[in-house]
Amino acid sequence: MSAMLQRARPHLGTLVEMRVEAPDEACARAAIETAFVEVAAVHARMSFHTADSDLSRLHAAHVGTQVEVDARTLDVLRCALDLAARSRGCFDPTMAGRLVARGFLPPPRSPFVPDARASWRDVELRDGGVRLRRPLWLDLGGIAKGYAVDRAIGVLLANGATQALVNAGGDLRVAGPREEIVHLRGAGDAGIAGALALRDAALASSGGAATRRYRDGRWTGVHLDARDGSHVGLFSSASVTAPSCMIADALTKVVFAAPFALARGVLAGYGAQAATHATRRGWRVQGRAA
Amino acid sequence: MQSRWLIPVGAAVAAQAAFATQYLSVQQAQQEAFAGASEFRLVPAADAAARAAIGAPAGWAPQVFEARAGEKKLGWLIVDQVIGKSEAITYALALDTAGAVISLEVLDYRESHGSEVRMPAWRKQFVGKTAADAAALGREVKIISGATLSCRHLTEGVQRLLRWYEVALKAPA
Repeated sequence: MSAMLQRARPHLGTLVEMRVEAPDEACARAAIETAFVEVAAVHARMSFHTADSDLSRLHAAHVGTQVEVDARTLDVLRCALDLAARSRGCFDPTMAGRLVARGFLPPPRSPFVPDARASWRDVELRDGGVRLRRPLWLDLGGIAKGYAVDRAIGVLLANGATQALVNAGGDLRVAGPREEIVHLRGAGDAGIAGALALRDAALASSGGAATRRYRDGRWTGVHLDARDGSHVGLFSSASVTAPSCMIADALTKVVFAAPFALARGVLAGYGAQAATHATRRGWRVQGRAA
Repeated sequence: MQSRWLIPVGAAVAAQAAFATQYLSVQQAQQEAFAGASEFRLVPAADAAARAAIGAPAGWAPQVFEARAGEKKLGWLIVDQVIGKSEAITYALALDTAGAVISLEVLDYRESHGSEVRMPAWRKQFVGKTAADAAALGREVKIISGATLSCRHLTEGVQRLLRWYEVALKAPA
């Protein structure tokens, strides 16, 4: 006899839902509790706002100073820098200064102003620490949520779950032998525009509709092409499937910003596939056939 | 890893889904937050003065239960609802006798408007998919991905309840 349990709590700025099947209810309950603790820990280390997060300590430190960070923060930074290199800077975790300037992020407590020339190339990882070569602000908002989902799935499986789902406001991962059907919201107010059958895979979706703002005669949003600071993905949505939610989460931003051929190569390199949706044109699929 | 896209070709009809999930009943939330309680006593609703003091919006009507084990007071379970642009969330906040948060659980979540995804025009777009896919698409929407939801309303709701604790529930020093 197995037990199914589902819970939802506010974390990571959204609602995090977990659903598990486990040999018994006590096991399912314990697995979910432990997984929520892990999600909270990832958030505490990688938050842009909280004063004692790894990012805040890094932003408070002087350029060139080595700052020790949690192993999980290093995991995410390593992946973010790898993505930045592969996408030739279309994805860049050091763009927080621009988002602050445009009012999409509150200014962090930091003694310096970001250097306009700074990029992901100015972040150096070594010996369990991080060093910045130029003043810059890191924002892991486009990748850490996916990582938190991956960590939660790991905790659920390690604690006896036989089938598991973690969904952080649309960035999700399913684990276990059974296939799950995930419905996809389309661009803007399109409603349910498609679906996806997933087994042991992650899915992330991003779209500009929820956060875009009309200001001074033009639209602005949270997704930037890091190469020139232009806004992307304002009127479309992108969904990416990948083996991990961290990769899927970050790749939605690459799909928005990168030219088609470059995005195709990056997706293939991670074994990922993307579908973009715009209300007028419908769907377009990029990447290998599943 | 395995994934199959079930998406229509070209511009297509989209369906408004009535997406809803219940996670816990009020009674289950009570039991989980206060396993040792023998009684949950309903506390009278907030009076006008308390409502004004915390700037409660119109329609704000949380249900407050005092958890007791015999004569001993264990804390409170407060059930409240917040409504966003298209979603409504009912949640339960458990506080101990000192007003510290014991737990915060979402009881149910629903996207409020629209018909169901079984809409024939929407399903017809998937002709050619397997029968199993068609059946899966017609089932109720259980997992959904897309424009990220904000939990801002929920956070504000919790802050309002904590202010209300200070005004109305806290034992006088």
